[in-house]
Order: sequence, then structure tokens, then C-alpha cells
Amino acid sequence: AMAGHDDSGASEKKASDFDIPTFSNENMQSNMKVIYYSRTFMSIIGGVIAGILGFTGLMGFIFYFLVMAITSIGLTAKAGFSIHSYFDSWNRIILDGFLGGLLVCCSLFKLFLTGIAVTVLNLHVQHINLS
Amino acid sequence: MAVGFAVGVLGVLILSHAAYSTIQYRTLLKITEEEFSGPPINVVFELLLGLVLCMWAALAVPGKFQSIQLDSDENRVVSLPSNLDFMIFNHRGKAFPLECTLKSK
Repeated sequence: AMAGHDDSGASEKKASDFDIPTFSNENMQSNMKVIYYSRTFMSIIGGVIAGILGFTGLMGFIFYFLVMAITSIGLTAKAGFSIHSYFDSWNRIILDGFLGGLLVCCSLFKLFLTGIAVTVLNLHVQHINLS
Repeated sequence: MAVGFAVGVLGVLILSHAAYSTIQYRTLLKITEEEFSGPPINVVFELLLGLVLCMWAALAVPGKFQSIQLDSDENRVVSLPSNLDFMIFNHRGKAFPLECTLKSK
């Protein structure tokens, strides 16, 4: 028999005997990039909103999870709910970029919370000085 | 794509206006010595609207998902080389299952 090619019982062979998970890797990576950009942008927006609303501590985390969950649902809808034609596992759409996004969100939250507080303080001081 | 980008910019502008309103509101609270318990309801609406618009932009702008299935229509690499000197037959195709669907563009 030739190396690497089994001819015996060829008429009985089914496609499911070989289960080689193959997919287009470059398309997969391009899809991952799309998810990454979407998540990062929504982390920024989530941080900004949490900072404006003054969500501290647990409330902030809950808000971030909520924003990420909605983003995941949006991404799933964008993929037409048939994840397996665009990704190799559900984890990609649900978990990927989650922790990195948390860092981005916290940074923006801190930025906006302190930025608003500082601006308010300055305006207050100005107001006091003028009156 | 450009529409998505415009929607995103609009969302960011609305959020900026919400931030500005919040600053004004909290300054007012500080003058009247009250505690900041929560933003006024119109700021909340603005934030919600900004969130929705930015979510739309976040999903629409980065690009479409491309199929990773090798036998989907956009991934077919079926093409006969015009140059007969460089046709390759000794490739990995022999590792794949024998059953195949003959589909050509």
C-alpha cells in the first residue's frame, strides 16, 4: 500500500472516519481581530459611562459585565447565530478579550471619574473666588 | 462602514454632552452643598442613547466576519492554472476524506 493513503474498503469509507478539524486560519484571525476591536471600543465606552455615572466598586464590575454580555450578544447576532462558520469555538465570542477589556474599562472609568470630579472642583473654586 | 463610523462619532458626541451636563449638575450640587446621589434623568437617557449608538458602531465598523469553512463559496480556491508548466498534484489533498462534493464556480 502507498504511504499515507489507505485504499482498502474505499467504498465503505465515510467522511466522518477522518475528523480533521480544518478551517481557514487567516479568516479566523481576521474574525478574531474584528471581535477584539469591537470589545475594546465597548470597554472604552463602558468605562466612560461608568465614570460619568460614578459607578464605584461592585456596581462598576456589574456594569462592565453587562456591557460585555450585550457586546457578546451583538457579536453573535452579527455572525448570524451560526458561530461555527466563523469561529472554532464559542469561547472566542464570549471570553476573548474579556480581561484586557476590563483593564481598558477601569482606566477610562478612573479617567472620567477623576476628570469630572476635578473639573467640578475647579469650577466650584472659581465660583467661590468670583462671588 | 462610513455610516457606522458616523453613528459612532454621534454616539461619542452625545456621551461628551452627557459628561458636560453631569459636570454642570455636580457643580450646581456642590454650590448648594448637596450630595451627588445620581445624575438627572435626561443625562441617563443621553448615556443610554450614546451607549446604543456606540454599540451599533462597535459592531458595524470593524468589518464583516469571513467564513472559515473551506468549502464555503467565498473560500473556494478552485482555479485551473493557466500556465501548464506549474501544476501541482502532490499536495495534502490525499490526507482528506475520499468523499467530496464536486462544486465548481
